Amino acid sequence: MANEDVKVGRQAEEDKGALGDSRPGTIKFLTGLGAAAHALRMADIDVASSYPIRPYTGVMMMLSMMAARGELDLEFVHGEGEHGQLGIAHGASSAGARAMTGSSGVGVVYAMEVYSPISGGRCPVQMVIADRTLDPPGDFGSEHTDALSTRDQGWMLGWAHTPQEVFDNTLMYYRIGEDPRVYLPQMNCQDGYFISHIPQRVVVPTQEEVNSFLPPLEFPDALDPLNPLGHGPQIFPGQGHVLEATRVNAMMGTFPVIDEVVNDFNKRFGTSYDPFVEQYKCSDAEYVIFISGGHAFTGKFAVDHMREKGMKIGLVRTRWVRPWPTDYLADILSKFKAIGVVETNNSFGAARQCGILTLEVATTLYQCDNKPVLTAFMAGLGGEVIRLDEFYYMGDVLKDAAAKGSTERTAYWIGFHNV
Amino acid sequence: MKTRFKKYTVEIPEEMAIPFAGIVESPKPNGEQPMMLTGGWRIYRPVIDSEKCVMCKSCVLACPDATVLLVDGGNKIGFNLDYCKGCGLCTWVCPVNAIDRVPELDFEDGVPFQDALFLLPHVEALYAD
Repeated sequence: MANEDVKVGRQAEEDKGALGDSRPGTIKFLTGLGAAAHALRMADIDVASSYPIRPYTGVMMMLSMMAARGELDLEFVHGEGEHGQLGIAHGASSAGARAMTGSSGVGVVYAMEVYSPISGGRCPVQMVIADRTLDPPGDFGSEHTDALSTRDQGWMLGWAHTPQEVFDNTLMYYRIGEDPRVYLPQMNCQDGYFISHIPQRVVVPTQEEVNSFLPPLEFPDALDPLNPLGHGPQIFPGQGHVLEATRVNAMMGTFPVIDEVVNDFNKRFGTSYDPFVEQYKCSDAEYVIFISGGHAFTGKFAVDHMREKGMKIGLVRTRWVRPWPTDYLADILSKFKAIGVVETNNSFGAARQCGILTLEVATTLYQCDNKPVLTAFMAGLGGEVIRLDEFYYMGDVLKDAAAKGSTERTAYWIGFHNV
Repeated sequence: MKTRFKKYTVEIPEEMAIPFAGIVESPKPNGEQPMMLTGGWRIYRPVIDSEKCVMCKSCVLACPDATVLLVDGGNKIGFNLDYCKGCGLCTWVCPVNAIDRVPELDFEDGVPFQDALFLLPHVEALYAD
């Protein structure tokens, strides 16, 4: 890969300060997909099942290259489509392999049937998703509707906002998903193009460090010809709701595990991730932008610029959508006067004509004594870029909302009202 | 900030507990589910030619509904037609083409001619006074 192993001496030194990151390790210049591939190599995955679709397919190109070069002992299986791809990963994981797969856009939703059997079988498959807008228009750019459509299928779901975070999430997700208290599949999401194809500085730790953080998978009741088992529940009436309840418990039981694993990661690798929610300049903020995913990177610069103008704005970025960190977010969000949710997704006909995240945020705040003004910013739809000036516009709307205690609209379509 | 987690988990009474991920030992200890006979969906019935059969048991492994059985003291292959949906996977995997798919209409007791699959005695009994 052209973008691999590029020396970035001066640039890397400059980035060090900007990204607030001075951890030890080898510096590589990697795209989000390159970062995912390197992390998967170091996680020593056993099976990868692929089917090409842009933009995620870069991770499969790199993994097949690593396997061909002998850098990774990998069963690399091609599916006949995304449905088959997920089926292969399901089977591999049932047999106790550390399995990965991935997809983008329409591919993610083509596999829709297979998500629930994998989470119901409690197989800790990891899926690398580089978001792509669904058809139409089927363009290359990122919109989160593809992965968010699967949010009710029992998979853990979260977004990274830099290639470095993709790398780190890959390792953390496996450790969380493979924890005996959890055993759930994980969707390791990154924005298509914005994260998946723009290289940044990524610190890669040593193999020994990764090995000590991520032990091999021990899956209970793995498929074994000498000890035949029935996988894929065959149940009697009266057991269906129990089966559902066990999966709910597994998902809701992830909170302490996430807390523990992310803190352990921080300790070992010198990072400073919040387990659930990143707060950027929020300590004295009156109004905040709530966001998930790669546009947070631009958003932080916008917040810096708006702060220079004296605006009391902050940015809250959730690292998880499933499980939704309800109590954690309720504590953080209820102290602000106004919240604007940047929706890089669409839910046609949703309550208040907003996207998916606003629904979750509203439910989170409903139980709080202080209910901030809540509005949605429909931005980045169809894979469009969210520009700095569009973030400034959101800042103005929020400043106004905090002062007035209300907004004109329940959802602002960015690129429409601000022209 | 101190992290706090409310308890959102469901308490499952001990007597309702089920195995992890619903995984059970094979062959099915659950037995059959007489309330959900699926044989009535069948259009083609699997018919085995025991002369051709080499007892490789590929069909036993392939059947998604565990309806391919070992009969005659484990020496022959049989089918549980109460549950066989006629998907044809057994025919597909058979290495010696010993399993034929015959239309149900060709049988005197074919699915379309049977009342038994739809009016089960034990179901009728449930509704009897």
